[in-house]
Amino acid sequence: MTSSPATVQAAGTEGRTSLRQFTRVLGAVILLFVIWRVTTVGLSEGYPASFWISQALNGLVLGGVYALVALGYTLVYGILFMINFAHGEVMMIGGITGYFALQFAQARGWMEGPWAVVVVALLLIMFIGMAASVLIGVTLERLAYRPLRQAPRLVPLISAIGASLFLQYSVLLIFGVSPHSYRKPALISGGLRLGDVFIPYTGAIIFVTSILLMLALYFIIQRTKLGRAMRAVAEDRSTASLMGVDVNAVIVVTFMLGSALAGAAGVMLGFHNTVVKFNSGFLPGLKAFTAAVLGGIGNIPGAMFGALLLGLIEAIGPSALGIPTEYKDVIAFSLLVLILIFRPTGLFGEVLSEKKA
Amino acid sequence: MLKLDSVHTYYGHIHALKGVSLTVNEGEIVTLIGSNGAGKTTTLNTISGVLSARAGAVYLQDTTRKAGEQHGNGRDGDIRLDQLPAHEVARLGVSQSPEGRKIFARLSVQENLAMGAFARTDADGVRLDLERVFELFPRLKERLSQPGGTLSGGEQQMLAIGRALMSRPRILLLDEPSMGLAPILVQQIFQIIREINAQGITILLVEQNAQAALQVADRGYVLETGNIVLSGAAGDLLANPQVAEAYLGI
Ligand SMILES: Nc1ncnc2c1ncn2[C@@H]1O[C@H](COP(=O)(O)OP(=O)(O)OP(=O)(O)O)[C@@H](O)[C@H]1O
Ligand SMILES: [Mg+2]
Repeated sequence: MTSSPATVQAAGTEGRTSLRQFTRVLGAVILLFVIWRVTTVGLSEGYPASFWISQALNGLVLGGVYALVALGYTLVYGILFMINFAHGEVMMIGGITGYFALQFAQARGWMEGPWAVVVVALLLIMFIGMAASVLIGVTLERLAYRPLRQAPRLVPLISAIGASLFLQYSVLLIFGVSPHSYRKPALISGGLRLGDVFIPYTGAIIFVTSILLMLALYFIIQRTKLGRAMRAVAEDRSTASLMGVDVNAVIVVTFMLGSALAGAAGVMLGFHNTVVKFNSGFLPGLKAFTAAVLGGIGNIPGAMFGALLLGLIEAIGPSALGIPTEYKDVIAFSLLVLILIFRPTGLFGEVLSEKKA
Repeated sequence: MLKLDSVHTYYGHIHALKGVSLTVNEGEIVTLIGSNGAGKTTTLNTISGVLSARAGAVYLQDTTRKAGEQHGNGRDGDIRLDQLPAHEVARLGVSQSPEGRKIFARLSVQENLAMGAFARTDADGVRLDLERVFELFPRLKERLSQPGGTLSGGEQQMLAIGRALMSRPRILLLDEPSMGLAPILVQQIFQIIREINAQGITILLVEQNAQAALQVADRGYVLETGNIVLSGAAGDLLANPQVAEAYLGI
């Protein structure tokens, strides 16, 4: 006998130890690199404090939008243990629909009307975008995911990627490649100047709206009967059904909530970036997914926190590390890879590993 | 009030229930005993609609329909539970305290109890039943805001039964309520089963502890590898030498 079970086991443990050592070394190298860039490039450029504050505020705005989208990933994962990779497209559809609603409102001159009219019209535009996203989200659940509920976990994932491509290219086919541009009404075009820091109104509105929507979601989940049922279904579907909970209905509502938040994000991102097109859900979708993973997927406060953190890192990162801003996406996705290597359960991720993982 | 007629249930290719027939009359405590893997949990889950029967029928007496009214697909005046999803069975007043308690670990004790009353809309009645549950299990009242997962095993069992009672069931299905409890608590649980029954709730009790179950029950069924092999008044089963040898450890 050359290889007893004991030696096999020892070899396995050894392999794991050297892997852990490798990731530790890798972590140290990355940390040193970041420190080196920040001290030699970021800080030596001599940017004024107001610059950093402006960047941070931009980051929070972007983070708020990511948070709304990230919540959709995390809600669905919490209940179905699947990543809805078409969620970015659900957001994009909200943005596209919001664009047409805005066109409609502008054609009727509502956007130049008294401020109350503009505010109501903007709210309506957002609701219409949200409604469109809800419709798409619920359809996805019904057609692309529910039939695969008993299938191995990889299968709905592939279905999600297929749905994502289907939605992108359907929009491309219907509306063409050229971006649709959101024209901001004059009422929200300016901004607020505090010393050297400029805060655009849209940024402030997006941030505040995101926070309000997140609070609303948190209230629904923690304080209402529906939210309690959602949490029960997330923990144990069959026991929840023994309590009289219609599990399918709860899953549909989960998709509705996640999609509504994504729709709001889509419209707000339209105003923020001024353009929407068939693929404008792709990158934000991946970023929001990164944010959800950063916070620990399935964890609701984690998704909010992870998204705000990611927004900040993306906004400050390029200047701090001395990287051209065109490469800011590299930072987000490097971060995703790093989390998956070092802390796959995310920053608050103990929830995931409980029993179903 | 509840009747299983030659029920067959499968897990994939595994034939777990091979034609189980049993009846529970209104107001009774009926116990279902049998060794590990006999199919007791499978029976309860088939009644609850968590599992679906491939053949046979589960009838629940319908008290809401008047005689002469147009009926569904069951026998006259009965509802076919085997054709309903679990949440609809629960809403008809069939409540289960599942094997292994299945407490929602991250929900507080209060929220777990509220889940039991999920389908109810009579807030006053729910409040009344909550008081009733606290009378049966004063321990729960002291731990209302604690996450269910942090309760001791015995407390979780109390919570599971309390949660099942919060739906104000017509019939309560109990799957091994004494499992893993200290002897003193086991006695207490059986005492409480009597009390619940005295309050007018019909009970179908699954137990490993056949002695205690037969002492509290009116009638009993013995399940062996998916078949009912014996049935009768609880006293007769207790006195039956076959039962004594196989299940009472005498
Ligand atoms: N999910 C499942 N998949 C496959 N087979 C199962 C499953 N659950 C139960 N079985 C099988 O069905 C049979 C009956 O199981 P069941 O859980 O009903 O037994 P039980 O009488 O409740 O046993 P115990 O006293 O141990 O709880 C067993 O042979 C078991 O192995
Ligand atoms: Mg069992």
